[in-house]
Amino acid sequence: MSLSLILQAAQAGITNGFIYALVGMGLAVIFRGSRVINVMHGEFSVVGAMVTVLMLTSARYPYWIAILAGVSTGPLIGALIELTLVRPMIRQRATEDQFVLLTIGLERAIAAAVLFFIGRDGYLLPAFGGDHVFIVFDVVIREHALWLIAIATFVVVALREFFRHTTLGLAMTAASIDADGAATTGINVARMRTLTFVLGGLLGAIAGILITPLIAVDYQTGLPITLKGIAAAILGGFTNPLGAVVGGLTLGMVESLVIVGVSSGYKDALTFSVLIVIMIFMPHGILGRGGRGGG
Amino acid sequence: MTHDRDILVLDQVGHRFGGFTVLRSVTFSVPEGGIVGLIGPNGSGKTTLFNIISGYLALQAGSITYGGRALTTQSVQDRSRAGMVRTFQTPKIFERMTVLENIMVGACKITRTGILQDLVRSPHAQSELRQIRMLAERVGEELGLEGNLPAATLTAGQRRILEIARVLVAQPRLLMLDEPSAGLNHEEMRQLIATIERLNDAGLAILLVSHDMVLMAVAETVHVLNFGEIIARGNMAAIQQNAGVREVYLGI
Amino acid sequence: MRARLLVGLLGIVLWALLPHILSRYMIDLLVFTAIYTIAGIGVGLLLGQCGIVNLGQATFYGIGAYSCAYLTVELGYPNVAGFIVGALISMTIALVVGWPVLRLTGYFLALATLALSIIGSSLFYEWDWLTGGELGIGGIPKLDIFGFKLDTPGRYYYLAWSIAFICMLLVGNLIASRTGLMLRAMRDSSEAAASLGIDMQWLRTRVFMLSALLGSVAGSLFAHYVSFTSVQSFTVDKSIGFLLIPVLGGVRSLWGVVLGALFVTVMPELLSRIGDIHQILFGLALVAVVVLLPEGLVGLLATAGRKLGWSRVRA
Repeated sequence: MSLSLILQAAQAGITNGFIYALVGMGLAVIFRGSRVINVMHGEFSVVGAMVTVLMLTSARYPYWIAILAGVSTGPLIGALIELTLVRPMIRQRATEDQFVLLTIGLERAIAAAVLFFIGRDGYLLPAFGGDHVFIVFDVVIREHALWLIAIATFVVVALREFFRHTTLGLAMTAASIDADGAATTGINVARMRTLTFVLGGLLGAIAGILITPLIAVDYQTGLPITLKGIAAAILGGFTNPLGAVVGGLTLGMVESLVIVGVSSGYKDALTFSVLIVIMIFMPHGILGRGGRGGG
Repeated sequence: MTHDRDILVLDQVGHRFGGFTVLRSVTFSVPEGGIVGLIGPNGSGKTTLFNIISGYLALQAGSITYGGRALTTQSVQDRSRAGMVRTFQTPKIFERMTVLENIMVGACKITRTGILQDLVRSPHAQSELRQIRMLAERVGEELGLEGNLPAATLTAGQRRILEIARVLVAQPRLLMLDEPSAGLNHEEMRQLIATIERLNDAGLAILLVSHDMVLMAVAETVHVLNFGEIIARGNMAAIQQNAGVREVYLGI
Repeated sequence: MRARLLVGLLGIVLWALLPHILSRYMIDLLVFTAIYTIAGIGVGLLLGQCGIVNLGQATFYGIGAYSCAYLTVELGYPNVAGFIVGALISMTIALVVGWPVLRLTGYFLALATLALSIIGSSLFYEWDWLTGGELGIGGIPKLDIFGFKLDTPGRYYYLAWSIAFICMLLVGNLIASRTGLMLRAMRDSSEAAASLGIDMQWLRTRVFMLSALLGSVAGSLFAHYVSFTSVQSFTVDKSIGFLLIPVLGGVRSLWGVVLGALFVTVMPELLSRIGDIHQILFGLALVAVVVLLPEGLVGLLATAGRKLGWSRVRA
């Protein structure tokens, strides 16, 4: 096993890792705000990517407009779900298992809708920077991968700043930590919850658009994306969205090394076995309790 | 100060949360058939102590002896099966079951039917279930509970009684009550005190933890806990005269 | 009491006559309904009595199916061997994986079972020396009872439903027993249940093993019915499908599981005439049931029955 192979794997691991991180962050944000694990989260990515594809190919809009359209589907769908479905269920004091079932149902419905409207084919978006690649130490790095990492990093930092230094971000954090306390200071807890879905949807859509130039996305891609994102979030301790970044990168690296070291067929089996083990032995994620702070 | 006939003995029990000392050298005992009270303001460490005795928190320092045996790592379930039962500050009843079913659950630990026998409804399984039901009905009647009501419809006072009925049905040796008077009105309080006295007259040892001075009149010996230490002990009358206690409670 | 007995008898007669009345296509659907009922009872037991969302049933379904396939086709063992070996393997895995995992609660537990499903389907795919991978294993012999070959849907109908009814009876006993009482106590307040001396982890593990057993039996029945197994039948999708059965039908009722299985089997067939949109409707149906009908279809029927003045169906 040559060094360049390992480095190539590492590069793939980091690239994928950032995607898992974005998805994981969105999941963690939603979970923190509503205690709902959003099994349909991957559909934000799929729908965002598909809308972008449609705008680009059928409607022939410029790429950046298509991207804007795609990215905005996430928050819109998120808000819709929260307002029409989650809110009444919370009012009815629904149990955790009922929310799991709700999001599963939504996942099925949306995936089927994508199948219905788009069909079975997978689609790729044009890569940022076209087919340009860099070659460093025998490692092939697509320009898009660098854009992906840069944009994802920007999003992570922006999110951190948002939660720590903006009024809205602090209000959302307060509402998710202590709803009653936040309410007494005048924070509209329900609206904060809607915003977490909006934010989660946004992160999901961004992730979808970033990944589609590298991997073809089709109607079935939603659930695997969600699962990887959940894995990332769990590794990161689930309550801290920024922990998902560490979780996502770790997941991406482990996955890449498994592919290179063992075989690609076992990557899912191993990844999810690791996930189960982590959930049992380290319920606070690999960052431990200390990871709960900040974000 | 301990006797051979003590059901529960605590000796220099201590506890820390991180760097913060919550309990400091707590020593007291509960005699067989006696009623002992543990009183103290909020934050005095009563709940922590309660959780350590009942097994929800690990013992860090000191020793606890129950029925002559040392309690160290026994689980909550083990202690429950050994006859040490407790109620909760906010009654945790089984909301989606009836009153009778709630009480029946309390008797489950004294029977041993396996899952296979329950699957095929063996005669043994049937007779054990009958036995459980009978015990539950009797205890429910004794405490004035209506068996067929959905447990969710009970008032706060009734829920407390239900919790007691539930632990009573397995004939415990030590009943530990955690803030049983919280949320009760006068009438419910009166019923609670009457129930406690009746149970104790029948020979059940009771440990009562509360910040409620009125309730504490029912205890034979009261230990006052403040900031994790016992600052006074005696009967209620003596306690109320105690200068240190008055200062803690009344600021006098 | 008399009325109930009469209705019951009528029901049995009707059930026995159906294969002679309905078309082969309908009987085929009913056989699948029976098989899915068996798997669905396991999932329903965990969900309704323990509050546990089990998304791993397809793995045990697959183990049951592949055990039969491999042992009969590759090794030439008698049919019964597949059932037994499948059941043993499933229960062992349920024990070994369940014991540590069932300590988790809520979402994490659901996720762990989902992970189990993914690992299972992944291994079914990878270990093609055992499972035939994408190509699967074909030529699984039909079952026969003392020489009487069960090679038509009509004949298999009787076997599948007999087993389904037996499972319903057994699990019904369990729910009404002391064990059922402890399960529901655990579901309503695990803290209180612990304080009453109930050993929850062991109890949960045993119910999980029972659920796995049911999944395995269903899978074995499936293998001998279609005579062919391939990985596509044992994916996460299937696990989700199995979960839908008690949810749609009514999570606290055994007949609800039957209704749910019927719905899950028949509905896609009926709706497929409308075209691909049926899958969307299916997902939406699930959402609708969860939000609007927490008691499932059985709850809907019970409410309708009440409005019509009938006494409540057992729930």
